[in-house]
Amino acid sequence: MRVLVLEDEVKVGAFIRRALEEESHAVDLCPEGVEGLGYALNRTYDLIILDLMLPGLPGLDILKKIREEKIQTPVLILTARSQVDQKVKGLDSGGDDYLTKPFAIEELLARVRALCRRGTGESRGVLQVDDLILSPATREVTRSGQRIDLTAKEYALLEYLMRNAGRVLTRPMIAEHVWNLDFDTSTNVIDVYVNYLRNKVDRGWDRQLIHTVRGSGYTLKAE
Amino acid sequence: MPLRLRLTLWYGTTLALVLVSFAFVLYTVMAQALRAQVDESLEMAALAMVRSLERHPLGSLLNFERLSSEFSDLVTIDKFFQIFSPTGKVTIQSPHIQARGISLNSIALEAAFAGKTVFQSVKGSSANASLRLVSVPFTYHKGRNKAPLYIVQVGTSLDPMEATLHRLFIVLLITGPIALALAMAGGWFLAGRALRPVESIRRTAQNIASGDLTQRLTVKVTPDEIGRLVETFNAMIASLDASFREVRQFTADASHELRTPLTVLKGETELALRRPRTAEDYRQVLESSLEEIDRMSKIVDELLFLARADLGEVQMESVPVRLGELVKDIQRQADPLGREQGVRTTVSRVDPAVVRGDELRLREMLTNLVDNAIKYSRPGGEVEVTLVMNAGTAHLSVSDQGIGMDHADQTRIFDRFYRADAARAHSKKGTGLGLAICKWIAECHKGRIEVQSKVGEGSRFTVVLPLDPLAH
Repeated sequence: MRVLVLEDEVKVGAFIRRALEEESHAVDLCPEGVEGLGYALNRTYDLIILDLMLPGLPGLDILKKIREEKIQTPVLILTARSQVDQKVKGLDSGGDDYLTKPFAIEELLARVRALCRRGTGESRGVLQVDDLILSPATREVTRSGQRIDLTAKEYALLEYLMRNAGRVLTRPMIAEHVWNLDFDTSTNVIDVYVNYLRNKVDRGWDRQLIHTVRGSGYTLKAE
Repeated sequence: MPLRLRLTLWYGTTLALVLVSFAFVLYTVMAQALRAQVDESLEMAALAMVRSLERHPLGSLLNFERLSSEFSDLVTIDKFFQIFSPTGKVTIQSPHIQARGISLNSIALEAAFAGKTVFQSVKGSSANASLRLVSVPFTYHKGRNKAPLYIVQVGTSLDPMEATLHRLFIVLLITGPIALALAMAGGWFLAGRALRPVESIRRTAQNIASGDLTQRLTVKVTPDEIGRLVETFNAMIASLDASFREVRQFTADASHELRTPLTVLKGETELALRRPRTAEDYRQVLESSLEEIDRMSKIVDELLFLARADLGEVQMESVPVRLGELVKDIQRQADPLGREQGVRTTVSRVDPAVVRGDELRLREMLTNLVDNAIKYSRPGGEVEVTLVMNAGTAHLSVSDQGIGMDHADQTRIFDRFYRADAARAHSKKGTGLGLAICKWIAECHKGRIEVQSKVGEGSRFTVVLPLDPLAH
């Protein structure tokens, strides 16, 4: 998952980024409002974590502008203010969830999972394509009940493919969401990781789930 | 007892007293006037009779018929007369007096012998009949002889007068209470009308007392006592509202300031505990935690200081302080710290200014200003401290070439917890209270603090303090 974190407290931003990265998310961190809005408008994210007290441009204004631009990315609001009217205002301005500082890191991660789930219509908290099941909460992947062990990057790649099951994902999209880098045509790191993943997920099974779409990228689907 | 009832009762009691006195006076005056009228008419009749008797020979008058024709008004129904001979015997009498049988009593007799006219009230023979009598003595002058003394007595019944007075009494007895009742009803109505806004004020005040300071009295404001009360009341609520808002804002700001380090502590610690880490990782977390704990301690210390300052509990010394030495001292301390960030701290002009005050507080203020200047300077920048004496004041300035601030920020920079946007984006955050404390210290020394600044070019904070007149 590609996450944008807009947080002006340097240390808070840093530990949120680290926690998300340890969960295999790709994270952009920005401590300033105007610049942060630029990130949100010009790049695609699966989730935005937004502090309301940002210098430059208040969080609520950023939120309204994002929604005016018809960007439906889930937004998790963070703030030190816990008054009810603040929460109501945040949620009414287009926020999807709300977390008051100080918060438990596990709660933040659980809410991130829940918000990511929202876009895919996934229920029970797991992603399933055919007999392949991925549980974001436990980071467990099974196929027909058989456990598959994945590295962090492999897991992130598979989660991205499964969340967008049936859609064709181009190499630049994968690079942005999984590696958090601008796609460099000279690298074949994506192809290499897709191969690793194929070996673990598809090898030995009749039904292949990961497919190469010639000239565009990859897709994960049941035939 | 409700005010309305009390007002009405007071009003009613006063009015009742007035009415009773009025009735009493009216009754008394009326009774006196009536009596005087009776006496006057009696006396006139008696004198007329005397004059007539004096002109006529006595004998001719002792015939009743002649007398009656002579004094026709004596025969009217309400008056009677009798004439006593010098021996005290009735010489002649009007007919209807005979039944009453009034004799000449001793008082009248004595007065008559003394030549005086006398009035008397007597009871007639029949019950309840009050009579009024006048006795007038007269003498016949027959030649030079001492004339015999006769007494003319004219009387009338007081019954008609008393009936009139009785009627008056009854009228007063009936109309008085009716007037009182009407007036009290009117008073009750007026008091109610005057007090109606008071009830509405009370209801609003009750709501306000339960914590809703946004309410105002909506009673229509008339330029009377109630209107002025409403205006005063509204002004009072407005100022209460403002100060409560201030307190709430301050509390919210303070809790926000404390939440940020708590968030860092909790987040970093939880993250570290999620999985095994290297010793270096733990070390970093502990160092960062210590920083946050120091930050919280500083916030708490400064909050306590300001709270005590607000309550007037901070003791300030008042001794001569050589500002020049203070400036040089702080520059010596600050310069090495600044150099770590590539910021030089210099002192250019230092006049030998002496002010009266608390050296520790002044040192704290100057240290705060210099630390701030270094913090918001760019590497390669310079912080300059100057001390200039001018017209009985010491101007202590700290200038930097740092990020600066716009006009809006300059007006609020000394507010508690206020931070300019640029300062909020800064990696090293203060407590947000430093400049508020500087301002307080400057004002405690009967001075002031000012700021001049331009975004991107830097800021200059100037503290103006009165010089110690004894040292200069």
